[in-house]
Amino acid sequence: MKQDYFSANNIKHIDYKNIDILKRFLNPNGKIVGHKRTGVVSKNQRKLARAVKNARFLGLLPFVAR
Amino acid sequence: MSDVLKEEDIDSEKDSERRQIYEIGYLLVPTLTEENTIGILGDMKNTLENMGAEIISSEMPKMITLAYVMTKSIKNIRHRFDSAYFGWVKFELETAKIADVKKYLTLNQDFIRFLITKTVRENTLVSRRYAGSGVGRRSKEEKKEVVEVNEEEIDKEIDALADAAV
Repeated sequence: MKQDYFSANNIKHIDYKNIDILKRFLNPNGKIVGHKRTGVVSKNQRKLARAVKNARFLGLLPFVAR
Repeated sequence: MSDVLKEEDIDSEKDSERRQIYEIGYLLVPTLTEENTIGILGDMKNTLENMGAEIISSEMPKMITLAYVMTKSIKNIRHRFDSAYFGWVKFELETAKIADVKKYLTLNQDFIRFLITKTVRENTLVSRRYAGSGVGRRSKEEKKEVVEVNEEEIDKEIDALADAAV
């Protein structure tokens, strides 16, 4: 059974500066992977999406890769 | 201005309702020297403190390669940047004054971009070692360990059998 990465590691606040973590939830094109593939719960998926979008705005992550 | 702040500080219950923890992430133009970036961070902290902010934590601006090229118009000339100094400051401030902070950052030409976010007082950065331990990977590593243990046991058993034969 898939587990929520953030609940498993007790991460309550998903920070846009943690790009090593955020990259795990991006596909090779830089798109956010859906919760069905990653097992992230809806609440955390919304936080994750916000964090990725903030990181993109500040040039830490790409909008489009490859 | 300072008198007004003092009065608000006395009334701690009202004050806590109005205060919020913010974080500013920013990109500085790469043409600056490192000494200049330290000066800009110092100026920003002073400005925030003058507005009544309590600085919680910050990180020095460091040079990063941007994920994509950004443009900024300075004096009607469009500049393109593929690298910048990235830094952040976390502070607590009255909600009514965050608009002034935004205005200050907008008018400063050294910033390529900035992002004001609401956050929590606790440290939200996760260490790299901790970040690397994924759920999926861990299960694979455990499987490998099991295989190694089995090989050792087999080797020992073979040695024991060889000794017994001799």
